[in-house]
Parts: sequence; C-alpha cells; structure tokens
Amino acid sequence: MSGRVLALAVEPYLYAAPSVLLIAAVMLVPLITGLSYAFHDIILLDPLSGDFVGLDHFRDLLEDDSFWTALVNTAIWTGVSVILQFGLGLVLALLLNRPLPGRRLVQALVFLPWAVPGFLSGLTWAWLFNPVIGPLPHWLHALGIMASADNILSDPHLALLGPIVANVWWGIPFFAITLIAALQSIPRDIYEAASLDGAGPWLQFRRITLPLLAPTIVITVLLRTVWVANFAELIVVMTKGGPADATQTLASYIFTLAFQRLDFGYASAVSAVLMLLLLAYAGAVMALRRALLEPR
Amino acid sequence: MTVLLRILHYAALAAFLAFALFPLFWLLKVSVTPDDLLYSEGVRPWPSRMTLDNYLSVLRHTQFPLYFRNSLIVSSATALFSTAAASAAGYGFSRFRYPGKSWVAGLLLVSQMFPLVIIVAPIFRILAPLGLTNSLAGLVVVYTALNTPFAAFLMQSFFEAIPKDLEEAALIDGATRFQALRQVILPLTLPALAATGGFVFTAAWSELLFALMLNSRASVTTFPSGLLSFVSKFSVDFGQMMAAGVLALLPVCAFFFLIQRALIQGLTAGAVKG
Amino acid sequence: MVRPDQGIPGRGALTVKRLLLAAVLAVPLATPVRADSTLRLVEVLTSPERTETLQALVAGFEAANPHTHVEVTSLAWGSAYEKLATMIAAGDVPDVVEMPDRWLSLYAGNGQLENLDPYLAGWRETPGLNQKALAVARTVGQTAYMLPYGFYLRALYYNKAIFRQAGIPAPPKTLEEFRADSARIAQLPGKSGYCLRGGPGGLNGWVMIGAAMAGSNAFFHEDGTSALNDAGWVAGANWLIDLYKEGLAPKDSVNWGFNEVVAGFYSGACAMVDQDPDALIALAQRMKPGDFGVAPFPKGPGGKSYPTLGFCGWSIFRQSMHKDLAWALVTALDDPGGNLTWNKRTGALPVYTNAAKDPFYASAVYQGWFEELADPDVVPTLMPTDLPGFAYFADSLVVRSSQQALLGQISPANMNKQWAAYLTKAKRKQAEMAK
Repeated sequence: MSGRVLALAVEPYLYAAPSVLLIAAVMLVPLITGLSYAFHDIILLDPLSGDFVGLDHFRDLLEDDSFWTALVNTAIWTGVSVILQFGLGLVLALLLNRPLPGRRLVQALVFLPWAVPGFLSGLTWAWLFNPVIGPLPHWLHALGIMASADNILSDPHLALLGPIVANVWWGIPFFAITLIAALQSIPRDIYEAASLDGAGPWLQFRRITLPLLAPTIVITVLLRTVWVANFAELIVVMTKGGPADATQTLASYIFTLAFQRLDFGYASAVSAVLMLLLLAYAGAVMALRRALLEPR
Repeated sequence: MTVLLRILHYAALAAFLAFALFPLFWLLKVSVTPDDLLYSEGVRPWPSRMTLDNYLSVLRHTQFPLYFRNSLIVSSATALFSTAAASAAGYGFSRFRYPGKSWVAGLLLVSQMFPLVIIVAPIFRILAPLGLTNSLAGLVVVYTALNTPFAAFLMQSFFEAIPKDLEEAALIDGATRFQALRQVILPLTLPALAATGGFVFTAAWSELLFALMLNSRASVTTFPSGLLSFVSKFSVDFGQMMAAGVLALLPVCAFFFLIQRALIQGLTAGAVKG
Repeated sequence: MVRPDQGIPGRGALTVKRLLLAAVLAVPLATPVRADSTLRLVEVLTSPERTETLQALVAGFEAANPHTHVEVTSLAWGSAYEKLATMIAAGDVPDVVEMPDRWLSLYAGNGQLENLDPYLAGWRETPGLNQKALAVARTVGQTAYMLPYGFYLRALYYNKAIFRQAGIPAPPKTLEEFRADSARIAQLPGKSGYCLRGGPGGLNGWVMIGAAMAGSNAFFHEDGTSALNDAGWVAGANWLIDLYKEGLAPKDSVNWGFNEVVAGFYSGACAMVDQDPDALIALAQRMKPGDFGVAPFPKGPGGKSYPTLGFCGWSIFRQSMHKDLAWALVTALDDPGGNLTWNKRTGALPVYTNAAKDPFYASAVYQGWFEELADPDVVPTLMPTDLPGFAYFADSLVVRSSQQALLGQISPANMNKQWAAYLTKAKRKQAEMAK
C-alpha cells in the first residue's frame, strides 16, 4: 500500500523530470558558471587571467558610457518592438477573426515571416534599406517621408528603426497566432447578448474582448519582451551596434564584449545586470496578472 | 456601410499580406538576379535577365546540400525529443499540484531570461570532454534544452483543454495514469503534438549561435552557419546566399504553413490563460 | 622481451635467435613512424578560390607524405576570430593555422604558438625570404611565431571610367590633388570621390592620412607616449572628416566595412578607394579591366606617403602533437613554389625576393604596388599589432570614436586625444609585461 502511495507521490516529478534534468544540466549549470565569470577577470585565451576581482566589473559598468547608452537603447528597442508587434498582431488577429473567403490561405501566408531565421531576415531588411540595392529609401523619398534616399541604418537618429522594423515583421505572427486562439475561445453568446443590450462594436471590444484577453496578453507580452531584450542577432547583422553605438543594445553589447574583446568577465557582469532587470520586470508582470485575475 | 467596412477589412488584410510577403519576394528576386546586375539593377522589382545559376551553383558547387541535410536531422531530432519532454512536463503542470511545481515553472521561465552568449563557453567546456562538440548530437542536446520550456508551456495549454474526467474514467477502470495518458489522452492531442513539434522544428532550424560556435567541421555544419560562408573577406555572394536562403526556407515555410492551423486550434481549446 | 638469463651453450645459434627475436620485437617500436597521422589545418581568410587552392596544395603534400592525412577546416571570415578563440579556449587546438597579422600578438602573446626560429635556421629556403618577411615574422618578442606568406600593401584604386567622365586625366599624386579630384567627381550626379571606410577596419585609412600630414609614421615618441595627438595627426583627422562633411564621400560610408567599400567602388558610387592587392580578385570579377586602375597612394604635404603594410602567414600551435610534420606542411604551403601558387590565387604580394620576377606580376595592375615598393618616398607602415589590446582599439574604440567625429558628435581633437590616451596606456602595459 505504501508503495503505491509513494508511486503516486513521485509521479508528478517523473513527468517533469526529463525536462528539468536536461534544462538544469544544459542551461542552469552553464548559467551559474557563466555568471560566476562576472566576478572574475576572464579574458579568453589569456592563461594568466582568471583572478577573482569581486565587484570590479560592476563598478566599471557604472562608469561605462557604452553601457548606459546600451541600456537606454535596450529600453527603446524592446518597448517599441513589443508595442508595435503586439498592436499590429492584435489588429491582424481581429481582422482574421471574422469570416472571409480564402481566410485559411491568407492566414497561412501572413504568418510566414515567423519561419524565417533571424539573421536572414536581418540581411534581407538591411538589403531593403540600402539605397544602392534596395527600393525602400527611394519609395520613402518619393512619398516625401525622407528628404533624400538615404540609408536609415547609417543615420544615428534613425538607425534603430531598421532592426525594429525587421523585428516587428518577424514577431507579428507570434502575437497574431496566440491572440486569435484566445479570441476564438471567447463564446459567441457573450457578444450576442451584448448586441441585444445595444452595445456597439467598440464597447464590446473594450468591455468584453480586452478583459477576457488580458491574461493571454500579459503572458505573451512578458515572454516576447524577455526574448526581444535578449535578442542580438538582428542588430549585429544589420548595424553591428553602430553608427557610434546608436543601435547598441545590452544584448549586442554583450555579444561584442564577449567575441571582440574576448572579455567574458565583463560581458557576464553586463549579462547579470540585464538578467536582474528582466527578473524584476517578470516579477512585476506576474504581480499585475494576479491582480487582474483576482476580481473574478 | 457594411460594404465599406468589408472593403476596409480586405484592404487592411491586403496591407498585412504585402508587408509580410514583400521581403520574402525580394529574397526570391535577388536569388534569381545574375551577379553583374545585382548592383546596377538593385532597385528594379524584377531583374531584366533572370537566372537559375545561383541555385545550380548552390546545389552543385557548394556543400549546401550537406548543410541542409544536417539541419534536417538536427531539427527533426530536436522536435521529437523536445515535444516528448515538453508533453510530459506540460501534462504534469496541467494535472497535478505538487510541492515544487512553482520552482519547476520558475526554472523554465528563468532559462529564457538571459542572453545565450554567456553560456556558450561553459557549454563548450561541458560538451567537449563528452565528445559532443563538432557533432550533430551535441546540437540536438542543446536545442532540446533551449526549446523545451516554451514547448512545455504550449503543451500545458493543450492539455488544459482536455477534461480531466477522461483520465479519471480510465483510472477508475483500473488503468495506471501512464496507461490512461497513452491510450486515452494522447490520441486526442495529436494535432497539439504536431503543432508543438512544428514550432520547435522552426526554432531549431533557424538557430545560429550554437551552430556556429560548437561545430566547425563542414560535415556537421548546419545551414545557418553554412549561409555565413557566403560572406568571405573579399565579397558577399548575395545571389548565392539568397538562393541558399530560399532553398532553406522552403521546408520550414511549408511545414509552418501546414501546422499553423493546428496550433491555433489547439491553443484555442486550451484558452491560453498561462 | 629477450631474457638476459639465457644459457651459454650453443651461443652462436642463440645469438642469432636473439637478434632475430629482437628484430621482430623491435618492429612495433619502429612502426609508429609509419602509422597514419592526421594534421589539422585551419584557414580563416576563407573564400571558395582560396579553399580550392589550399586543397590542391594539401593534396600535393599528402601525396608526398603517405600515411599523413590533412584535415582542412575552413572558418567563415566574419566569425573566424571568435570561432577560433572559442575553439582554442575550450581545448580544441589545431596543428597549423592561418595567422593574420592582427591576431599574432593575441596568440603569440598568450604563449599559444610554437617558436619557429629553430626550424627556420635549418630550412634551405630561408635565405630566399626577403628581409621584410623575416622582420614581420618576428614582430612579437623578436621570435618567429609565424612563417609569412604574403604582404598586403595599400594602394589607390581609381575608377577610370568616372575619371574620364569628370575630365581628370590621371590619378591624384598628392592629397591636395585627391581632394580636388573628389570635389570634381562629386559634381557628377550620384557619384562621390572617396569610398570612405567609416565602419569596421577603417583604422588604416586614418593612419595613412594622419601619417602623411604629420610627415612621419611613428606611433610613439621616444618617451613611449603616443604621437597620435600631435598637430600633424590631428590635421590628418580633420582633413578626412572635412572630406566626409563636404559630401565628397557617400553619406552612408560612415558605417561602411570592407564589403560596402568594395561594393561602393565597383558599383560606381564612389570613384576611389584605398585597398590591398587581394581586393583585385573581387573587382576583377565585377569590373571590366579597362575601367579601373591602381596607383600609389597620394603623398602628403611632406612629399611622402605611408601606406599601411599588412601580412599573413602560417603558425603552428604549441599544443600540436605533430610539430615536425606540421612544419613539413607549412613548408609545402609556403616554399617558393607553394607560395607563388598561393599568392597568384589569393592576391598578396609574395615574400620571396625572386618572386617579383614572375611574369604574373608584370601585369599593369600590379605596377601600382611595385611602383610603391620601389619609391623611396613611400614608407610602408606597420601597424602596432604587437600592443596588448590593439584589436579592441582598432575594432571598437576607433570605430566608435571616428563615427562620432564624422557625425559631428565629438570634435576631431577629442577623438585623437582618446586614441593617444589608449595607446599610451597600452604601450606602458607592454613595457611592464616585458619585465
């Protein structure tokens, strides 16, 4: 009898075990090792490095202009990307939620960007923005949006928009898919009842759709924000963080520190800071979610 | 009024379609442009002289078919293992309450929180003595770990959609939970498995950082790092690179095309509440 | 093993037996010399042509050395730096590696490379190497940590078609003429004078013009402080920044790297670019031979020019288990025959004094470089790649600060000050490390 009780008690852990063991071994252990570098002087290839330096890296960080620039850029990059992806993804989900001929085909086609590898979409968009070989600068100039057909990736004020556009292009399908699913789970009767009561579409949206979507929105925005904040590929491929650090985010800065300066110690310190910021953000979001679900 | 709304509706969707497909179209266009026209005709919507040379070159004179095959192996294996592990974990989250559940969920979440750059060197050090660097198996191990958290989240949603009564009935009849899972639940989740598998396949297919850093021998190079070999110190072979890109996109786009409906259906049923 | 306590009787027969036994048992000891060995060779300046040439040379080596197999790993250049560093740091060490000048101080300075002086001392081809070759091989610690295969000397490529269009009969000989020519070309619609490399790898341009204005290519004063903050160098920086600000270089060029600069040249967006002989390969494929020419880099007000000199070669890792065999491979790749084959396909200037006589180098485009080499007022300039932290200086600090200066975010004087401060510190660190 106690054997069966034991088996039942252990059961849930058995289901979770494969994932947990794998993630612990392949990600957690290396993460702890990687973070420990933040407290040492680790220059790759330098056999004399490896000394414990305590909080030195963190002190350097506070005085590093590039770090602060990257921090600001990360906030802009993440904020703008996610808001645009979410906003446009929501619009697309709403558009696809209504019946229309050929919806299946349209739906499948409009989600294709998600299947394209990040760096390939970065290369393609860099190509599109280059006035020598791409059409976008010329079209923007013809539409009067740009004064002359220049490459926005070379303009420090506009450069960050390039990777943001590529990121939005790539990320809309993610939101659209999850939001359509959530939209379709709202029972039709609620809308019918609201129509009978005389509520117009906008009111229905505000009072029915949004609140019911809220939990989904919160989770997907959280996940996507964390991913975008850590995403360096597009920036490294399109601008390498330039010109003059205009597009350098924390993620791309970490990449540069690790693979150009070979300074894994400092790179880990910056990573630790980024991670702390994201954990704080996640904590705040989870608290918000709990608050949203409470009045139920 | 409704006619106007309809027109707006279609127009908006058309705009989204154009936005989504235009860069893919441009990829295709560059891949069929001959080298000498690449810069002089850069802005034209279609080259004055089309050529399939880039494709022939990629297929015959580069090792791209090998890279493609490697990517296929790695992505399929990752999709398989990741979906299996994620299904187990997702099922566990959906059906059980147990001490430590939030720790497990937390572990899965934290694993997505940091830039992967900082674990490249430690992972290399762990895998090297095991002989897993310069191997496809090593990549599969790493990719499975990377993708399982989100896959578990997806599978949990899918399992939420299936009423617990079904297993309860089987358990009452004397089956173990695992038997109940296999015989009753799993058949119902086949679309979900396909969708999750497809999602993971797409992610593994596109991964660049680890593919680049863990493997250097050509025999185990996957197509993303293979694509970088078109960038030499002396020129970027854009025509060939885009041709290789198009070829590599075909399977994953086709795959995604097919599974996105199942994905939505499954997520709808599970009513993604997190 | 032959037992020493065999009896005395029948000594003769036993002795023969013993000898035979010993001979038979000694064979396994001798066999390792003939067992199959694998050498790992890593190339980093990878391109399809180079890989093909390398495979051919390697095949020749394998044929001449049976039981030796050479495994060639080709790293894509864009990620080769971090790729190789990660590999070495994790213990995945090849035997022979292609070593660019910029990486020499990193690997040699960290004790990763084998000292090749003993091998060079015993090699019959060593006297044929030109003086510069041996000098650059010994850049770090006065020890030869590499065997160079070629030199990269900057010269001025110019677009003859655009020059004709602008009515300019000949390429500029001085920086003044350069500027005047650029201004005339910029009047043509959609064209600029100079393909400025404002992004990664642009340091060479700043050094050449700075040195020309300063009249000297000394990076440091006698006392070890950097000369980069002197009036001449600052004037050079100003000259280049003004060129950009007046629109004589394309607006996008602030972020241009190698590929963009070369593409800008062959697409006709800009008419002049300073580059090494290996850019010829990409250009020859994409431009008609009559449309471009190569001239010596223009001279500064002091009547001298200081084109930068780069080099590349082969190194052997200290952790290699087959050092002698690795040296044999290196000599096969880099003896006069191998060197000529290699450089003809890859475009570097050869390291052997006799190679210049080969008809291949008699073509018109190579005249620009040989003219530079023969001119006493042209002083090839080596970058201080032996300084610790030079890679960060060139790839990060210079790129960021020069872009800020070009965009007007900081003043040129400020930029030079930053450079001088960093280099002085690096020099001091180097002096300390030597103690």
